[in-house]
Amino acid sequence: MRWRYLKQSVFFGLVSASALIITLVLGGIIFYIITNGYSVISLDFITKPPTDSMTKGGIMPAIIGTIYLTVGAIAIGLPFGIASAIYLTEYARQGKIVRIIKIGINCLAGVPSVVFGLFGLGFFVIFLKFGSSILAGSLTLGFLILPTIIGASEEALKSVPQTFREASLSLGVSKWQTIYRIVLPNALPGILTGSILGIGRAAGETAPIMFTAAAFFTAKLPSSIFDEVMALPYHIYVLATAGTNIEATRPIQFGTVLVLVGVVLGIDLIAIIIRGYMRRKKRW
Amino acid sequence: MDSHIIKLHKVNFYYGQTQALTDISMNFGQNRVTALIGPSGCGKSTLLRLLNRMNDLIDGTKVEGEILFEGRNIYAPNIDPVEIRRKVGMVFQKPNPFPKTIYNNISYGPKLTGVTVADMDSLVEQSLRQAVLWDEVKDILNKSAMNLSGGQQQRLCIARALAMKPDVLLMDEPTSALDPISTAKIEELIEELKKDYTIIIVTHNMQQAARISDETAFFYLGNLVEYNKTEKIFTNPDVKQTEDYITGRFG
Amino acid sequence: MTRRIKEIIIKYIFFLFALVSVIVLGLIVSSLFREGLPVFKSVSLKDFIFGMEWYPTYDPPSFGIFPLIFGSFIVTVFATVIAVPLGVLAAIYISEIAPQAIKESLKSVIELLAGLPSVVLGFFGMVIVAPWLQETFDLPTGLNIINASVILAIMAIPTISSISEDALYAVPNEFKEASYALGATKYETITKIILPAALSGISTAVMLGMARAIGETMVVLMVAGGAAAIPESIFDSVRPMPASIAAEMGETPYGSPHYHALFAIGMVLFFLTLMFNLIADYASHKFRQTGSATL
Ligand SMILES: Nc1ncnc2c1ncn2[C@@H]1O[C@H](COP(=O)(O)OP(=O)(O)OP(=O)(O)O)[C@@H](O)[C@H]1O
Ligand SMILES: [Mg+2]
Repeated sequence: MRWRYLKQSVFFGLVSASALIITLVLGGIIFYIITNGYSVISLDFITKPPTDSMTKGGIMPAIIGTIYLTVGAIAIGLPFGIASAIYLTEYARQGKIVRIIKIGINCLAGVPSVVFGLFGLGFFVIFLKFGSSILAGSLTLGFLILPTIIGASEEALKSVPQTFREASLSLGVSKWQTIYRIVLPNALPGILTGSILGIGRAAGETAPIMFTAAAFFTAKLPSSIFDEVMALPYHIYVLATAGTNIEATRPIQFGTVLVLVGVVLGIDLIAIIIRGYMRRKKRW
Repeated sequence: MDSHIIKLHKVNFYYGQTQALTDISMNFGQNRVTALIGPSGCGKSTLLRLLNRMNDLIDGTKVEGEILFEGRNIYAPNIDPVEIRRKVGMVFQKPNPFPKTIYNNISYGPKLTGVTVADMDSLVEQSLRQAVLWDEVKDILNKSAMNLSGGQQQRLCIARALAMKPDVLLMDEPTSALDPISTAKIEELIEELKKDYTIIIVTHNMQQAARISDETAFFYLGNLVEYNKTEKIFTNPDVKQTEDYITGRFG
Repeated sequence: MTRRIKEIIIKYIFFLFALVSVIVLGLIVSSLFREGLPVFKSVSLKDFIFGMEWYPTYDPPSFGIFPLIFGSFIVTVFATVIAVPLGVLAAIYISEIAPQAIKESLKSVIELLAGLPSVVLGFFGMVIVAPWLQETFDLPTGLNIINASVILAIMAIPTISSISEDALYAVPNEFKEASYALGATKYETITKIILPAALSGISTAVMLGMARAIGETMVVLMVAGGAAAIPESIFDSVRPMPASIAAEMGETPYGSPHYHALFAIGMVLFFLTLMFNLIADYASHKFRQTGSATL
């Protein structure tokens, strides 16, 4: 009898330890980044461009570039994603085509980010002749986050009670009007919070923009969507691995990492908090 | 002279392979209250949802036979189900108001179906009055409908259906989720509405069927067993099965 | 009538949107083939896959990617060995043991861990793990298999843990209750009832975690060391496939055999992850049928 409970205690110990280790890893990484990075952060760091061949100055162009790329990715991913999910949950009847679409989405979700980069290079940059540009990078990132947004939107649409749809249709309101006036407004908060997690991913990805949009250094801010941009993740990679001044730029690297982590995890955290709040508030 | 607004002729209905209704032929009288009764799963809701083509929403269903509404076959290929649903309103078992204000719940249908309403405010008021809800909500029209009680929500759903000025009102166990007082209110309401509307109501409550309906149809396993004047059904039914069911000796 | 036509048109517009994912997938495959296949003018498929020498810039160049494939596999396997126990045990903790409040925060922790950009984890591996490894084990470099595996494991844990948790959660309550009713302890219930019932869901989680690890680029680019040779110990450097692509694409002239070779590596990587995902998909379908009805 004792033996049974001893085994149980050991097992519970292991299980709790795993959860603890994971928490400590996250906490440790964040703590380490903050303690090393915060001293670099200043208004100038965020609002000034780099100087002295990137060993001094700020990271403003990289912040701007990441904003452009992320907004571009949202502009592509969100409409395509929501519309796909509307088809799948509201219109599609089970069948071969729907199966193919679903398999396609699953496969797309599994494509490695560097392969997305190759695709962006081969298709947008070279074949469509966009060059390495905000446009090519945004399209690549937009399709990268498409499966995430479809998934989040499908879940949110499915959580709208079927009775709402029935009530609307029974009044003689057409299907599209029902979707537009009843289903979408009720699903939108869920769609957006779910999509935010994908958006955080778009802001933090490096491999997909390496060959499609990111520049080591640009003297000027981009003036059109056909310009290259600097971007936070690429900036970190470049400063940390290339050049002769790796040690000299360490503080800037930490500062940039802190800004990127702050932005991405900040976005995620907001989504998580809103979602928790909505779940508690939900009336149906 | 034809006082039958809906006519069914040899209707069969299938959910995929399983047949839910078999060879139903019956007519529903204009401005009458018809009650549909029968044990659970006998196809009452299925029949009701056939009449406004709500079963279209379910994958893999099939209809055979003819269902005529005002003389037109509503399953004919050139018929738009949306059109039918505007004339044949529906109230569901569980109150299902939209998460909108009370006012917008009522104005939702008329607004979106492009009916030109000269005065939306008075349509809202009129509908809520018809549903005997006006006095309770006239000061909170801009509050969320989700804050109403269950009985109030159900009357709101009735008002919402009435705002479309349908010819027929289908009700699927409209009081089964409500307390006795709300139930009584809705029964009174039905009595009132019958002057202007044809009402078809599904109920599990025998007293309710006896109290409010003019005709009663008894279903069993997808078949129409007996369809008669309510009085007759509850006093001296033609079929033994009906009597067994009504007196609770069913089994 | 016009309304019906409008409705039909709307439906088809949404259908076209839904096809976008499939179309993009098709474009990915065709781009990879279009830019990757020409390499086989310079090297045979067999020599490409099994060739031991990756000297793309030599004259004449040599395009054998076996060391790269091996590098990818070795870091993926080690990462899996680290991540699976941690991820699955954490999932058990979350779904079966943790009190409600801790449960919610732990789920957020895992979600945030998933949200950490890979370049940040790579950076962490470079500036923290690498110097520590180098000093502790007295190595020429801390950028090696073990470093890359640890960091990849951190990336794979959220995938493994969250999908495993879904699988554990999906085990019907009646199983658990039946087990407790027979006097089983919580430990016995978890190991004898819940885990077996969730096994195919957990396999899905593991496969998807592996797919994530094998396709991850920035981590292996920054911390695996970059040596395109078969390693002899876990402290050796490797050059997994994604690292090669990312590191070399920038310096390769467009249209050169090297350029095509990098796309061809992309093809290999694509089909490898596709395989992992399809196996995961298959496992998850089996898992869905394991409801209370089949047992
Ligand atoms: N969506 C559906 N798919 C398949 N079968 C269905 C579906 N809806 C109902 N059925 C089946 O059709 C039969 C009739 O169902 P229906 O809902 O019409 O019964 P009912 O008389 O309304 O019962 P209740 O009194 O319980 O509401 C039942 O056997 C039921 O299982
Ligand atoms: Mg019913």
